[in-house]
This record gives sequence, C-alpha cells and structure tokens, in this order.
Amino acid sequence: MATFFNSHQRATIEAAMARIIPTDDQPGAREANTIEFLDRYLSGVDFIYARPDGSGFEKLERKRADAWRQRIAILRTKYVEGIKELDQKSASRFGAEFVFLTGNQQDHTLTDMERGTAPGPAAFEAQATVGPVEPALQQTSAEIDLDFFQLLTLHTRQGFYSDPIYGGNKDRIGWKLIGFAGPESLAETHAGRFTTLPFFAEEEVDWTQEKNHGSKT
Amino acid sequence: MVQKRKPERADIVIIGAGASGATAAKVLTEQGLRVVGLERGPWRKRETFSGDELANVNRYNLWPDPILNPRTYRESASKEAKIELFCPVPQMVGGGTVHWQGWLPRFTENDFRLQTIAGQPSGTTLVDWPISYRDIEPYYTKVEWAFGVSGAGGVNKYESARSDDYPCPPLPTTRYGRKFYEGCRKLGYNAFPTPMAALSRPYNGRQVTVQSAFAQQHGDPTGTRSSALSVFIPDALKTGRYDLRPDCYVHEIVVDQHGRCKSAVYQDVDGDFIEQEADVFLLGCGAIESARLLLLSKSSRFPRGLANGSDLVGRNATFHEYSAAVGVFDDPIYAWAGGGYVAASSFEFYEHDEKRGFVSGCHIAAAGVGIPLPINWSLPDRPLWGAQAKQIDRDYFNHTFAIGMVLHDMPQHENRVELDEKVTDAWGLPVARITNKIHENDLKMGRWVIDRNAEILGAAGAKKIHRVYPDRISGNCSHQHGTTRMGDDPKTSVLNKWCQAHEVDNLFVIDGGPFPTGTGANPTLTIMANAWRIADYIGARYNSDRKSLQSLQS
Repeated sequence: MATFFNSHQRATIEAAMARIIPTDDQPGAREANTIEFLDRYLSGVDFIYARPDGSGFEKLERKRADAWRQRIAILRTKYVEGIKELDQKSASRFGAEFVFLTGNQQDHTLTDMERGTAPGPAAFEAQATVGPVEPALQQTSAEIDLDFFQLLTLHTRQGFYSDPIYGGNKDRIGWKLIGFAGPESLAETHAGRFTTLPFFAEEEVDWTQEKNHGSKT
Repeated sequence: MVQKRKPERADIVIIGAGASGATAAKVLTEQGLRVVGLERGPWRKRETFSGDELANVNRYNLWPDPILNPRTYRESASKEAKIELFCPVPQMVGGGTVHWQGWLPRFTENDFRLQTIAGQPSGTTLVDWPISYRDIEPYYTKVEWAFGVSGAGGVNKYESARSDDYPCPPLPTTRYGRKFYEGCRKLGYNAFPTPMAALSRPYNGRQVTVQSAFAQQHGDPTGTRSSALSVFIPDALKTGRYDLRPDCYVHEIVVDQHGRCKSAVYQDVDGDFIEQEADVFLLGCGAIESARLLLLSKSSRFPRGLANGSDLVGRNATFHEYSAAVGVFDDPIYAWAGGGYVAASSFEFYEHDEKRGFVSGCHIAAAGVGIPLPINWSLPDRPLWGAQAKQIDRDYFNHTFAIGMVLHDMPQHENRVELDEKVTDAWGLPVARITNKIHENDLKMGRWVIDRNAEILGAAGAKKIHRVYPDRISGNCSHQHGTTRMGDDPKTSVLNKWCQAHEVDNLFVIDGGPFPTGTGANPTLTIMANAWRIADYIGARYNSDRKSLQSLQS
C-alpha cells in the first residue's frame, strides 16, 4: 500500500491523533487506525473515492484528477510543515520531540498549536468542516484553506468515523462508540439493503384524523 | 474557435438539466418539440452513488470542487472577495435534486403579494410577484403527482387551497418528528408531516423509498427517491426527442443582428467548442449560474451582458439561511434515521404578522443536527479534540435533533451576483462573485424564530438547548433566487411574467432566478411548477404556429 509519511512523521501524527480521540475505557484513534486512513489519503489520488459498491477505488480522470493532485500537494506541505512546528514547540517547551512526550505534555503542545490557529471569520467557517460550530445544513469551507491543526483534527475525525473502506474506523470502532448502526459495507447501501426503519418512531400518527384544516378548491 | 462539427438546429435548447431544465424538457418533448439539453456536468447514473459520507459531504463527490468551480463572496463592495463554497449545488444531470432530501412545501397565496400585505421595509426591494398562487397551483399539483410526493393535504392549516391531495400518504414518522409534534401540541402550534420527494407506497412503477441514513447530501443508489434524475429525465428521454448532452459547458449565448438568441456555444468533454442553434433558449442553471451566463454573454447589442439593459441581472439575489435551535434529550432520537430529514414541519410562523416586529416569516422543521452522520455531526459547544470531545460524541450523537428554519432573507438592490474578473474557473471563465449583506429584518426574523424553535424543543422535553442565531447569509441552503427577477415593468425586472426576457423574446429563465422574493419555504417545488408553467406556455405557442415563435411576445 502506497504511503506518504516517513516513519518519524507517521509516528508523530499517530501520537497526535491518539490525543485528539484518546483511548479511555473504549478504543480511540489509535485502535481505529486513523493514521492509516490519513497516510493513504496523502499518498496520491488513488484513494479519494471508494467505488460505490465497495469493490475498490475510483480512477480519477481529467480535470477532477488535476484538482485532487493540487489539493493533495497542498495538504502534504501543510503536514510536513506542521509536524516540524509540532516538534519545535515540543522541544522548546519540554526538550524533546513530540513523540517522546508524555500524554499530558502532548496535550499542552497541541493546545499551543490550537491557540496559534488564527481566530476570526476564516477559522469560524473552517470549523464547519470539522463538525459545524453552527449546525449549518451543509456548509463546508474549502479543505485547503484549513491550517495544520484544523486539518489534523478533521482528518482524525474522518478516519475514526468514515466507512472502513478508507482504512480507518477499523472494525467499525468509531460507529460502535457512538451507537451508529451503520451498514456492514458500502455494498449494502449501494444495493439498497441498508435501512434505518428500525430507528424510526414506534407508533405512527393517524393523519386522516387531522385533515380538517385546508380547503379544497 | 475550432468547430468540431455543427449539430443540427434544435427547436429548443435548455441549458442545465437540473430541477427546472429537466421539468421543461419533459413538458416540451411530450408536446412534440425537439429539445437539446446542454448540461455542464456529468450524467451520473444511480449505480454511481452509495452511502459514503466522506466522499459526499467532505470530498466534493457531488458538490462543485472549489479548485475547479470556485465562487467568491464579499459582504459589500468595499470588502475584498474571497473564495468560498457559497451555495453549493451539484452541477450534473439532476442538479440540486441529486443531493437533496426533497422538502416540497408549497408557497402560500400571500407569498405572491407580500408587498401589498406587509409593505416594503427600508433598504429592501420587496415586491409582489407578477403572478398569483392561482397561476401556479395547477402546476404544483402536476409536479406533486408526477413525483409521487408523500404528504397529507389539509393538515397544514396555513396552506392555501389545493386542487388535489398528495398522491402518497406521509412517510413513516421519525423519532425527531414525533418529538416535534409533541412540543408543538403542548404549545398549541399546528404541525404537519413535511411533504417529501419520496415514496411511502409503490407509485407509477417505482418502489417505496429505501430509508437509508445516507440521503441528505447523498445521491440515491436505489432510484427510489423522487428527483429530476429519477423522474423527469427518464420521462423526457422516453419521448425520443430529448438530446441530453452531459459534460457540455456553455460559455456564451450568441445573438444575431436583431439581438435575438442565435446559438449556445459550449465546450464539450474533449475541450472542443461547438455551436448549437435553436429557435428558443431556456436557462435553468440555477440563479447564480444563469445570471453568470447572461453576464458572460456580452455583445455590441448587450455590452453589459445578455438581456441586461436594465443592469438588474444578478441583483436582488436571495439565498435563505438555514439555522436552528438544537436540543439534547435523555431518550434516544437516532436523528440519522432516514438521513435526518424525514421531517416534521410547521407554518405557525410562516405568514406575516406585524406584531412580531419584522416582515414575513418562515417554514420551520425538525431534522438532524447539520448532517447528522458520524463525521459531520456536532454540537455548538463541542471542543475540536480531546477526551471531552470524544465524550460528547459518545453521549449525544444519538440524543440530539434540531428545529431548523428557512430564513426568508429580504431582496436588496446591492445583494448581487457579478463576474469576478480576478478569479477564473478551470475553463478560464470568470467565476460568480456574490455580494451579500444580511438585512436587519433577516436578523430580527432569525432571532425571533430560533427563540420559538427553542421553546418547542423545551416543550418536547429537551434537557439542554443551543440557540444558533444566523448572523450572515452564508449560502448554506443551496437555495438561490432573484437574479433575473420577473415583473411587469422592464425598468424594474429582467423577465416578464412568462419568465421571458423583456429585451430578448426567444430567451427564458426557468430556475429560481425569476423569483422576485425568496419566501420562507424551500423553493424547488415552486421552481419545478413554474418551469412546467413556462414550458406549457412555450409549447402551446410553438405548436399553434411555429413561425410565430420567431417573434414570441407575451
């Protein structure tokens, strides 16, 4: 499987992800293998869209492929620079690279990184991608406008909760944690076999008793 | 420009194959006309869709990729515009109906005469429509029965008179719907099952809609949801007279020496330029892109853009804003059931009431929080990371829902769509630049309605409530209207009441662009009904005397 990170970068991001969704009495980002999700994403344009029946990945063509190559190149740069910054902050405060810090020290460093995130409208909008600060119906800002820390939290979340075909959410750990009765596979959704009807209300409303308001022409 | 081949002249060219373009294609081809459909995006079949939240909500699988098709936004002319994913609508065959979950409320009688009812608030360009509810009502019924809309006529006590009930009974009730009904009942509010583009029973040879969690913002792999792609496109194709050409991006509409539309020049998937001639041209690209295409089509006759002698093309743009109060409950809600938008609605705050201190009102409905799926669900006070964030996911993912509002934003002269000469798309054309400043009336309406929504959540038993007041128009509804206003006066409108350009008699705009006001309800049912109305008009004129179409006048 193609990957992007070298071993130090991979270990650093894996450690950071383990603080973003920590392991407690239940599994976290490490067990869900979110690092594999991200490393695959950054490896090129071969893992952008799963085929709808789950049989592999789409081969991107023409302008769509060009756009994704551009996007991945931008994201790679942000990760490479971000990892350097993470190590610099760790070294200046705790005298060691990020991966060698304790969990608490790593949290301090990440908090520093988060504070460095410029506030203001751009950051506010940006968080809509991570999970809306406001429950916007469907607003997402452009992924390439996010800074390293925002990308890291976003991709950790994506790796934890996306369909397992993308390499994370191993054994559907993320879905089990929050109680999402997701499909066994993408193929189930594609074939129309996946249904949420058991999670609808148990009793129906009898609307025939209510149809007394409007008038017919 | 290299001409690869010049295709045969068509009766009608429809640019765009979304909600309005597909409707018009169905109606016109069924009346015997030969229609060429030019769609800039791909023609995706249902086999290409699946329940993949990451691809659809986070990776631009359906929405325009902002690297290829950016838009820019600024609050006012003095601010610098920046690239935003403003008002994203799938640019493909089926358009917005591919990603919607299809709330299809009708507008009410007063929507068509709001200025008469409520006056014109300062700073707005609020006007009455040149048509009435009575003009559109038969077409509401036609669309509802073509789609098999599921709903219950007569339950919404604020709805205007209907000539027929919905063809299918309401969809099964969700737990978030039931909570909403409970809250409304306690407060004495009328509520009703949101009429939806989905089938509660087999209909016209189609199967009952599969209730997947992946519906809102997802294409439908089963073809059981009702959309332009699953209903009107197949209807048009069945006639054998609809020549639908996907991946064909119209750059310009060319006029002849008389200032009438002569042809559409488009770039096909190979990058070659093709010129398509026709008698009549219909624009159904969505209010933003139709305005952009008119502005791109400059000529010596129309130096400011086609049909834009009035300088009104692009102005009075309205977009709605979706905002909500969010409730946290002890018992499980499973707001992802049905995709989060198998909804329950109320029009209790829809009609204008001057006692509220603002003009007009809006549709409210119970739904999931944002996209209520694992990646994109959140709560307003959730931190971005760490143990607490994880705990909130675990505790509340299944225990929240929202009561949302479709904010009726007021039309304003300076809120507009223009060309951004500094930013081009992947085809080298200037992109749409949105200038939009929220009006005081919008802010007041937003605060007032969100407070009412919060009260309903409280009455339904929420243990914690978040109020999210809209503070700008962000384009998060994907709704778009007003950029080619219809009206009786050419000085204050771009189109006449048949949505025919005042200045160009063989040019029509059939999307939300003609809507003089955005209203407080989801627009697509009315967009399709209006497109049907216009297509009926064109078809009747054309068939009675083909030659007269050469000088179609209202």
